[in-house]
Amino acid sequence: MRRILRRSLVFVLAAGACLAQSLAEFEKRVSEFTLENGMHFIVLKRDPAPVVSFFAYVDAGAVNDPRGKTGLAHMFEHMVGKGTTRVGTTDYAQEKQVLEEIERIYDEIDNERRKGSRADRARLDELEARLRAAIEKANQFVKPNEFVRLFEANGAVGFNAGTGSDYTVYFCSMPANRLELWFLLMSEWLRQPVYREFYKERDVVREERRMRVESSPQGKLQEVLMATAFLAHPYRILVGWASDIDNLRARDAAEFHRTYYVPSNITIAIAGDVEANEIRLLAERYFGRIPPGPEPPRVITEEPPQEGERRVTVETPAQPILLVAYKRPDQRHADDPVFDVLASLLASGRTGLLYRELVRDKRIALAAGAVPAVPAAKFPSLFLIYSVPNAGHTIEENEKAVYEILERLQREPVEEAALARVKTKIRADLIRQLASNAGLARQLAFYHVNYGNWRTLFTGIEEIEKVTAGDVQRVARQYLRPSKRTVAYHVRPEANPEEGRR
Amino acid sequence: MTRRLALALLLAALAAAQDVPAVEELKFPPLKQVQIPKVETFTLPNGMRLYLLENRELPLIGGFALVRTGNLFDPPEKIGLASLTGDVLRTGGTAEKTGDEIDELLENLAASIESGIGETSGTVSFNCLRQDVDEVLAVFKALLTAPAFRQEKLDLAKTQYRSMIARRNDDAGAIASREFSQIIYGRDNPYGWRMEYEHLDRISRDDLMAFHKRYFFPANILLAVQGDFSAAEMRAKLEKLFADWQVKQPPVPPFPEVKARPAPGIYLAEKEDVNQTFFRIGHLGGLLRDPDFPALEVMADILGGGFSSRLFARVRTQLGYAYSVGASWGANYNHPGVFRIAGSTKSESTTETIRAILEEVERLRNSEVTDEELKTAQDTVLNSFVFNFDQPSKTLNRLVLYDYHGYPKDFIFRYQKAVAAVSKQDILRVARKYLRPQDLTIVAVGKPSDFGTPLAELGLPVHKIDLTIPEPKRQAARADAGNLAKGKELLARAQQAVGGAERLAGVKDILMTSEIVLQGMGAGMRASQTSRWLAPSVIRQDQQLPFGAVSSYSDGQTGWLATPQGVQPMPAPVMRQVRGALLRILPSLLLSDRLPGRQVNLIEEGVIEVQDSSGESVRLRLDPETGLPAALIYPSIQMSGPPSTTEEILEDWRETGGLKMPYKITIRRDGAPYAEVTVREIRFNTGLTEEELSSKP
Repeated sequence: MRRILRRSLVFVLAAGACLAQSLAEFEKRVSEFTLENGMHFIVLKRDPAPVVSFFAYVDAGAVNDPRGKTGLAHMFEHMVGKGTTRVGTTDYAQEKQVLEEIERIYDEIDNERRKGSRADRARLDELEARLRAAIEKANQFVKPNEFVRLFEANGAVGFNAGTGSDYTVYFCSMPANRLELWFLLMSEWLRQPVYREFYKERDVVREERRMRVESSPQGKLQEVLMATAFLAHPYRILVGWASDIDNLRARDAAEFHRTYYVPSNITIAIAGDVEANEIRLLAERYFGRIPPGPEPPRVITEEPPQEGERRVTVETPAQPILLVAYKRPDQRHADDPVFDVLASLLASGRTGLLYRELVRDKRIALAAGAVPAVPAAKFPSLFLIYSVPNAGHTIEENEKAVYEILERLQREPVEEAALARVKTKIRADLIRQLASNAGLARQLAFYHVNYGNWRTLFTGIEEIEKVTAGDVQRVARQYLRPSKRTVAYHVRPEANPEEGRR
Repeated sequence: MTRRLALALLLAALAAAQDVPAVEELKFPPLKQVQIPKVETFTLPNGMRLYLLENRELPLIGGFALVRTGNLFDPPEKIGLASLTGDVLRTGGTAEKTGDEIDELLENLAASIESGIGETSGTVSFNCLRQDVDEVLAVFKALLTAPAFRQEKLDLAKTQYRSMIARRNDDAGAIASREFSQIIYGRDNPYGWRMEYEHLDRISRDDLMAFHKRYFFPANILLAVQGDFSAAEMRAKLEKLFADWQVKQPPVPPFPEVKARPAPGIYLAEKEDVNQTFFRIGHLGGLLRDPDFPALEVMADILGGGFSSRLFARVRTQLGYAYSVGASWGANYNHPGVFRIAGSTKSESTTETIRAILEEVERLRNSEVTDEELKTAQDTVLNSFVFNFDQPSKTLNRLVLYDYHGYPKDFIFRYQKAVAAVSKQDILRVARKYLRPQDLTIVAVGKPSDFGTPLAELGLPVHKIDLTIPEPKRQAARADAGNLAKGKELLARAQQAVGGAERLAGVKDILMTSEIVLQGMGAGMRASQTSRWLAPSVIRQDQQLPFGAVSSYSDGQTGWLATPQGVQPMPAPVMRQVRGALLRILPSLLLSDRLPGRQVNLIEEGVIEVQDSSGESVRLRLDPETGLPAALIYPSIQMSGPPSTTEEILEDWRETGGLKMPYKITIRRDGAPYAEVTVREIRFNTGLTEEELSSKP
């Protein structure tokens, strides 16, 4: 024991020195600037190979979806493939007119539908036929997927986008000599997106929901957990409800863009074989054209305090999964690093408590783990524990075993050796991330937006270092309480009639 | 902001908009020369090949041993042996340290060692901070050369594997991929067979030791190490470390050949809990070293390689039928891969989506691709070529893999050159030569009752995939003459106890009504049930459940099932349950010694097993005092999940038409309470007819 402890301390010091060195090294290689319109850039020069990674972080996500329009942030994100006024079209002037025509017909359809049961079916049929015809007509001007084709043909890899609860991100890597293409295309699109093929893409987004949620036992369970744990806060839904998605309009997406895609709400991180002054010129030339806008509105709704355990089930013929989620404060709260340590103690590697007890010793789970913040952490969120029971073992057994571990964490302080081990791991994980342009660009942008400074990527480790066994015990006692948890799990569907008595 | 200022800004913005070039006007400077790192190679005296790459960017060292082995070498009756060996190699520890001690040791150093065996290779890898390399390498070497394979960790891994089998039908996409691959390679050989419970039951620690011994020897291993070290020092270190490992074995034989026959047609796996169909379409592919491989890659890229491919444009962008759709030409280093188109679409558009995809495959064979398509596909490969070199480790890994499979060191540059040379004519030629629409295997996993158009409209035969997970074969009792005779003896006693064989034989039909209360999951739910049986094998059940009436009928071969959602033919897995139920009809079960196709066998004292010709079986435990059947024990088949054991405890025996019958039945499943059945009435020989039993509600 003593030996282990000493080794760990040696490592902590060594890794600490290494990180301090990394930060000093990074200071020399990172430059930052903000354009007049408020858009912020972070540039990291790193040149083992002539490649560059881009990461654009928009500080808006599913939490900003308006009521009745869940899924809108995600729907807008999908428009990135659709191009600009100059890319993806054969004749924008004409196309624009038809796109406007589509919106007018759609307005009429909405007006008619609003009458509910008194709606005129014949008129609706006629309008829908006109809508289809207009969409056909608009399609004649489309060069499908031209925007992404240009990226791919120019050697971009990993071109993609993602929508989370707190953010929307757009990223790719390119050969360094073609970086201007990224500036041109992304600035054009962010400045003036075109809602081309919007309603077909809406079908695609519905398919995405079917794939990720409706046809996935795990997806369904997660969705129900969130919607149960959050009564009011928009963290309750991420992908959007099916009926909301089915009724999203191009106008809604345009409004979302106008409100949230203002330059001051966007941060762009670039890492790779680049020169900072060249990036600055390009940024000013291309992104400087985007006019400034007012700060987006903040999320008003706060989750009311939870007063009592919530339990929810989802029926499935599949083997069950257990989710246990506790309310936790947001990422700026002083206890944030304690949750990171706690999750690591529970779930890190083969020495995590959940693996040891549920998987290795009791053999009641195929896998078990913990996530410090779900679905995100800009607002108060959830500390999540999951378990995947082994065949022949029940949810009840697993749930009981999880609580035994948590109660022990509340009763007695964790071993110093275990605490040192997870701190060591968190540091080493950070060092291992430093070898990838794409990963670095992502982290720099994330830390800048969420903690106000990219250096937090390094200095945040000091906060982790300060966490004591007492902190872990206090946080376990304060937050991991039955009345603050939501438990979700699968159950078998109602009795199968063929399995009854003969 | 004043209006004038706003106007000025607007004008400035408008002017700015025109200020940037069009895409075509952009000029790109040439790409800087890529630095290709130098990998040093040596062969140690014991025959192990060594690959060293200095990489001083971070204070880390990592490496892996690549071992010529694979699950293709699994014995047919022990599928899973290679994978278990790969897993337990690490978890089972060494002679000096248990796996758990190694876990702590490594994690205290923020280091890792992992192991695994896949289809055509095994790996043991490590990663650590520079200053810990000696300590970590010592453990790495001990695990690689002399793993202890502790029994408890084998047991743990088997438990995990059993759960994976139980869970294998939970994810529709995973089912589609698995079935597709197994159908294409054939289920009768190492490329397409799969691990079952019975295989795991047969695998022992000795098997793991023997498997390790056969494949883990120096001349069969390539060892690659990279990171913050000097190559000369690392070489000396490794030479010293492995100096005492001098094991010799005959060379490992080549991997088995793929002998797949085409399996054209549609294969449908039904899954009730999805609203999308997950599909895979394709046939056998080829090898990476085929001269046509580069043209085939370009072809597959145009068909379904990315956001700008044909399938993406047609199925996703134009039709809006899929979020995910794509194609790849399957090529492996050493055996043919699988040409594969994959995606998912809402149930309603299943058939239309597959039709559209088949048309796109035909189109590739019927006409040349456009210049633009070809150029985009070539540019995509050539312009992103630099990403093959953006991390030094990629060069090292590639080199080791080429050596392992006997490929030339410059294979990637040959590929680059060949892609640049591909023409439209080449693509048409390879599409015609290698894409075989008549051989396409189409696997669909979904809910066919929701398909807008039935799959049969595609004009291809539709085969059903049975997803039932085979339960482990129970230790078959020795069916020797002695046990058979004792079984009959015991059965005769039971016949006597309920009223005699003659009276039992007189039962031609049964009408039974009962109340069922569920326990455990769904506790408290009640149902009332009427069961009717007509000898020898017609059965009808009518249940009144909280959510509506459910009826079923079967003549032992076919039947139907009526729920509030409508009437459907009896699905295959339910049919198996019905056959089990027929076997358990008590008066006929007790006469199993005289019914054709049935075997009665003594399992243990007081327990007999009855088996019918279809393989259904049930065990009867007899009350030693009264001779009455005290319990029925049988395996329950489930669509997914582990097989479970059901036990019915028979109590409250009452006189009924000259026979004793149980009026209280307690059902337990895997030991947990499942249901409580209270029989209201039993009547024999009321004159039931098959016509009456088969009439739909």
